[in-house]
Amino acid sequence: MFIRNFMERSMIDRRRFLIGSALGAGTVAVSAGIWPARAAGTYLLASSIRSLSNAFHAAWNKGAEAFASSVGEGYSALVTEGNSEKGIADIKALLAKAGDKAILGVDPNDSPDARPIVEAVSAAKSHVVTVWNKPSDLHPWDFGDNYVAHFSFNGIPAGEQTAKSLFDTFGGEGGIVALGGIASNTPAIERKAGLMKAIEATGGKVKLLDFQDADWDSTKATNIVGAWITRFGSDIKGIWAANDSMAVGALEALRAEGLAGKVLVTGIDGTKDAVQAIRNKEMAATVDWDPIWIGGIALSLGYQAATGKFVPSKEPQEHREFYGTGVMITQSDVEDYWKTHVEATPAIDWNDLWGRVTGQIKYS
Amino acid sequence: MTVTRLRLASVMPLLVLAGLCVAISIAEPRFLSIDNLIRIAAASAAPLVLALGATFVILMGSIDLSVEGSMAFASAILAACVANANGAGLDLGLAALPLVIAAAALFGALIGVIHTYLRVPSFMASLGMGFVGLGIATIMLGGERVGIVDESIRALALTRILNLPISIYVATFMLALAWVIQNHTRIGRRMLALGGAEQLVVASGVNVRHVRILVFAIAGAFFGVGAVLASARLGASSALVGSGQLFTAISAVVVGGTALTGGSGGVLATLLGVLIVMVLNNGMVILGLPTFVQQGVLGIMIIIAVLLNQPIRGLAVAK
Repeated sequence: MFIRNFMERSMIDRRRFLIGSALGAGTVAVSAGIWPARAAGTYLLASSIRSLSNAFHAAWNKGAEAFASSVGEGYSALVTEGNSEKGIADIKALLAKAGDKAILGVDPNDSPDARPIVEAVSAAKSHVVTVWNKPSDLHPWDFGDNYVAHFSFNGIPAGEQTAKSLFDTFGGEGGIVALGGIASNTPAIERKAGLMKAIEATGGKVKLLDFQDADWDSTKATNIVGAWITRFGSDIKGIWAANDSMAVGALEALRAEGLAGKVLVTGIDGTKDAVQAIRNKEMAATVDWDPIWIGGIALSLGYQAATGKFVPSKEPQEHREFYGTGVMITQSDVEDYWKTHVEATPAIDWNDLWGRVTGQIKYS
Repeated sequence: MTVTRLRLASVMPLLVLAGLCVAISIAEPRFLSIDNLIRIAAASAAPLVLALGATFVILMGSIDLSVEGSMAFASAILAACVANANGAGLDLGLAALPLVIAAAALFGALIGVIHTYLRVPSFMASLGMGFVGLGIATIMLGGERVGIVDESIRALALTRILNLPISIYVATFMLALAWVIQNHTRIGRRMLALGGAEQLVVASGVNVRHVRILVFAIAGAFFGVGAVLASARLGASSALVGSGQLFTAISAVVVGGTALTGGSGGVLATLLGVLIVMVLNNGMVILGLPTFVQQGVLGIMIIIAVLLNQPIRGLAVAK
C-alpha cells in the first residue's frame, strides 16, 4: 500500500542512515512515548530526548539504536515532549526496572533537570551521559564514575562562522537581519554571541538592522521576515538564523517575494532541507553537529564505562566535560558533503570516544 | 445599560482593529503599503481557516485542542499523496486535496465520537486525539521535514492572481463557506443553539450526539484545509507544521468576540480576531519592538478581549 511505501521511504530517506527492520517494531510503540526494550542483553540502554518529531532528535535516536544493536543490548527511547517532570519520572521508572544496569544518554529538557537525573542515576549505580544542558556548577567528576561525561557544542564559533560566510555573499558591506532561538536557551545565547562577534569584527561595515526571537520555529520565522521586507526592503542583504528550521522558514518568505537566491540565508544544525537549499544556492551555510554520532557516542561512553573499558574518574577533565566538533557546510563544499554524507553512510567508529573532542567546556 | 455594553462589546473588535491600523501606520506609514497588506493577508490565510474550524466547535460550547495534531496528520497525508522529496507515495497533484480534507474530517469525526459516545470532555478528547495525530505524522514522516515538490500545491502560496497569492482566495472561499454553514444550514443553527441552551435542543428532539460529531468533522475539514495552506507556504510537510497554531487560533477566536462558553459570536468575529492578531504580529515587527514586549502585548490583548466579552457571557449564564 502506498502509505506504507511512503513511510518506509521516509525512514530510509533519513540522512545517512538505514535501519530497514526497525520500522515494524517501532511504529506502534512511538505513539506510546516509550519503545519497549528489544533483545534483552545484560544492560538496558536508553536515550531521553525531547521528541521523535524533529529531525535532530530522530537522528539522535537512530544513532543510539545503531550503537545498541552493535553491542547487542536492549534499547528504549524516552520522550520528554518538552516536559521536565515527565523526563525525570521516565528515567526514574527506567532505573527502577534496570537497577545498576541502565545506561543513559540524556538531553535534559532544561538545565536544572540534569541534577536530579544525575543524582538518581548515581544512587542506582547506573551510568549516564548528558548532552547540551546542565547547570554550570554540576560536574561529572563530583559523582565518581556514574556520571560518566557531559558534552555540548560551542555555539559561538558556529554563529560566527556562518555569519562570516553570510557577509561574504554580499561583499561584506550592508545590512542584515537575524532570527534567534528561544531566548533563554544556551545554544541560542551562544550562537547570537557568535553573530555579534562577527558583526563587531567588520568594524561597522555590516549593520544588524533587527534581531527577533522566532523560538526555533519555521512559521514564526516566515511571518517575521515578511514584516522585515516591508520595514527594510532592499536594505536587507542577508538573513542569519540560529537554526535551520528558521532559516528554511525565512527562505520561504523570500521565495514568496521572488527574493530566494538573491538574498541569502544561513542556518545551523545541518538538516537535510537546509543542505539541499545550499545546493540550490539559496542558503550560504549551515553547521552540522552530526546528531547520529551524538546519540550513539553518548551511549558508547556510558557502556564502555559500565563494562570497565575505561574508568571515568581516571580520565582528565577534558574527557568528561567537553565540546564536540561541528562541521561547517558552505556552497563550495556542499557537493562533496552530499556525496559522502547524504548519498552514502559514513561509518562511525563507536570506540573512538574522544576523537571529536575540541576542548573542555568553559563556563563564564 | 446592559444593551449599550453589549453593542459596544460586539463592535469592539472592529474598533480595536481600526485603531491598531491607524496607530501603527502613523508610526510607520509603510505598514499600509499594498505589498505589506498582501503579506499580512497571506500570513493570515492558514490561521483564518484554522480559527474558523475552531469557531464552530467553540460556538457549540465545546473546545477543540487538536488543531496542531490534526494539522500534522493532514499534512502527512498530503505529503504521501503528492510529489514529495522522498520520492515515494502517490503523485495525485490537486486531486490529493479531497483525500486530505476527507481524512481530516474523519479524524475530527473520531474526536466527536470519542467525546459523545465515550463521554470524554471535549478538551480531553481533542487533546488526546491531537497527540495521536502528532504520533501518526511522526511515524509517517520518520520525524523529518519532507519537502513538497508538487508544483500545483506549491502554487497555492507562490502563484499570484491579480497580485494576490492563491491562498488568500482559498481562505476567502472558506470564510464564505463557513458563513453559509453558520447562517444558512440546519447544522449551523443547531450548533449555535447547542452552545446557547443545550436542554432546549435536547427537548426539541434533536440528536445532540450527531450534531456534535458533525461539527467536529466540519472543524476537522477546516483544519485539513489550513494544514494544506500551511504546508504549501512552508514547502514541506512536518509533524511540527502546526506548532503554535493552537494558541493563535483560540486567541483569535476569543479576541474576535466569540465567547468560550458558546452560543454567541461567529465566523465574521473570528475574521476580525485573526486580523487583529496578525496585524499586531506584523506591526510590532515593523515598529521594531523587542520580542519580549511583543509577547506581553499579545497576552494583554487576549485578557482585554475576554474582559470585553464578559457582559455577553454574563447574559448567557443568566439565561
